[in-house]
Amino acid sequence: MDRLERLVNLVVALLDTRRPLSRQEVRQRVGGYSEDEDNFHRNFERDKELLRQMGIPVVTEPLDPARPEAGSGYRVPRDLYELPDAGLDEDELVALGLAAAAVAFDGVGQTSTTTALWKLAGASGAGSSRARPLVAPPGGPLVDVPMDEAVATLFAGVSERRVARFAYNGLERRVDPYALSYREGRWYLAGFDHGREAERLFRTDRIGGPVELEGAPGAFLRPATAPSGPVPPWRLGDDEEIVVELKVDASQAQWAVALAGESSVSGTSSDGTTYLKLRVTNRAALRSFVLGFLDHAEVVGPPEVRDEVVQWLRAMASGGEAAGRPS
Amino acid sequence: MTRPSSAQRLARLLAVVPWVVAHDGPRVAEVCERFGISERELMADLNLLFMCGVYPYTPDALIEVDLDGGRVWVRFAEWFRRPLRLTAPEGLALVAAARAILGMPVAGDEKPNALASAVAKLETVLGAGGDDQLEIELGAASPAVLGALQTAVAQGRKVLLDYYSFGRDETGTRVVRPWRVFSSEGHWYLLAWCEKVGAKRLFRVDRARTATVLAEHFDPPEDLGPVPLYESRSEDPVVTLDLAPGAHWVVERYPHEGTVDMGEGVLRARLRVSSRAWLERLLLRAGPAATVVSGADGVAASAARRILTTYGHVTSRSDPD
Repeated sequence: MDRLERLVNLVVALLDTRRPLSRQEVRQRVGGYSEDEDNFHRNFERDKELLRQMGIPVVTEPLDPARPEAGSGYRVPRDLYELPDAGLDEDELVALGLAAAAVAFDGVGQTSTTTALWKLAGASGAGSSRARPLVAPPGGPLVDVPMDEAVATLFAGVSERRVARFAYNGLERRVDPYALSYREGRWYLAGFDHGREAERLFRTDRIGGPVELEGAPGAFLRPATAPSGPVPPWRLGDDEEIVVELKVDASQAQWAVALAGESSVSGTSSDGTTYLKLRVTNRAALRSFVLGFLDHAEVVGPPEVRDEVVQWLRAMASGGEAAGRPS
Repeated sequence: MTRPSSAQRLARLLAVVPWVVAHDGPRVAEVCERFGISERELMADLNLLFMCGVYPYTPDALIEVDLDGGRVWVRFAEWFRRPLRLTAPEGLALVAAARAILGMPVAGDEKPNALASAVAKLETVLGAGGDDQLEIELGAASPAVLGALQTAVAQGRKVLLDYYSFGRDETGTRVVRPWRVFSSEGHWYLLAWCEKVGAKRLFRVDRARTATVLAEHFDPPEDLGPVPLYESRSEDPVVTLDLAPGAHWVVERYPHEGTVDMGEGVLRARLRVSSRAWLERLLLRAGPAATVVSGADGVAASAARRILTTYGHVTSRSDPD
């Protein structure tokens, strides 16, 4: 028997039952499994894993609630399986299809837009043949965005307001995930870190290992002033917050303002020289930002930050890079 | 085309069936059109479906599939009255794609309304929803410049760019033939033929102060060729650096010609360097975590001294070279 046929029958059997089915019941009801005990075991595990990866909620429950020692079985609860009605009309479905075609995801996102659009196309009511979801724009996608399992799980945590657990900088974290943002090729999570009892920002590519969601949805309320929007690197740190003033030459001002945001502009002189005030919690990142402008920008104040940059430059100027002669 | 996996075929089947069930005998062509599949693929799926059902698989326990006059009916498939709910990656991919397109800088009032309402409905289904939960920044760009470039690409017209060259640290004008505009890693790029240098070049849209669409037309090439974000040319000089852990970002972020583990967390990396300003920035940012082994003697020191003069500091030490 074709594996796909066996899988369809397995889904039907697990959806059809109201009580959990034992392995042997599954074997009996779903044709196509091997007579050999080991082969059956291996194939059933593989099938179960595949269904779960597709998002089919195969739950494990005790066969007899009164006697948990009697073993467990499997079923797929309808209410967890079925796509809730989003009420999308055909124009909205087409718009989503066009947007999805304009953005190329890699990682786990690669085939996700295709399968997601199939599901939505399968759900909406009207039978218009205009809904052709998968048309790539001429010249290829406009945008490419990386996506991994951790980001996808965090998004589920943000949407459902569930607590996320993951390792970060060598520490186990429990975080109320508030918002995700994508900036400069990276994903950031803003949330409340239970261990530190404070709001924190995390770079998702620095998360070690898998992200787990715990508990029920709606576990926390997002504050009305949830940190939203991408955050510049000089805000990503644990340094005490200070306001740093920069002076940028006219030739580079437009670019600096684009990076720092219009609201950071504190003044402009007649020759176009622009002054920016930045709230900084990561001084090293600020230094990198300023040095990126070479001699077109300088730190005006406060004095200790200006001194830090001067000291850094002095160390470099005195030949911190002892060329070719390792000491 | 590669043969779709069992998982993909199952995913498709679980989406197609509810739609066919809900519609009284839709045309086969309509189903194919809607789901972007060929008639052969659909027939293969339907042929399999009518052998499926519940134990003991007697005719009354099987899904019924009828094909007649180019139309298709599926009955007794009550288990599949709704499609499967979205997985976390699927939900994120759709919402992120929609947010990305909605967040594109556009001049004037051209926001796609259907997309905005679609993503709002989708977010409601996925959870609490709200546009402050997911933000996609495609990169800073002036809507006027980006709009002009997109128009020029669409119409095949040349563009006069007033462009700041990051590598050479200078601003100048040039005429280009714009081929493609796209966003990657948080920046908007223009792939174009630069008439000034007579070669294909990649431009950062945020470094163009202005873009003027010219009357002159051009024919874009059939194949744009590969579009590497960082181009290195074999004639560019090689710089070898020892990178302590604090400077490993250099090899994570930039293409290089291989690294050697020197022990104690130090990586020795060879990089092709096309411009001095680029190397100056890299070395100044990395500081003591990067040590020049060869190819860039005194670059960081002289750049540091130059910047120090803007701070009013004149270093007494003379250049070793």
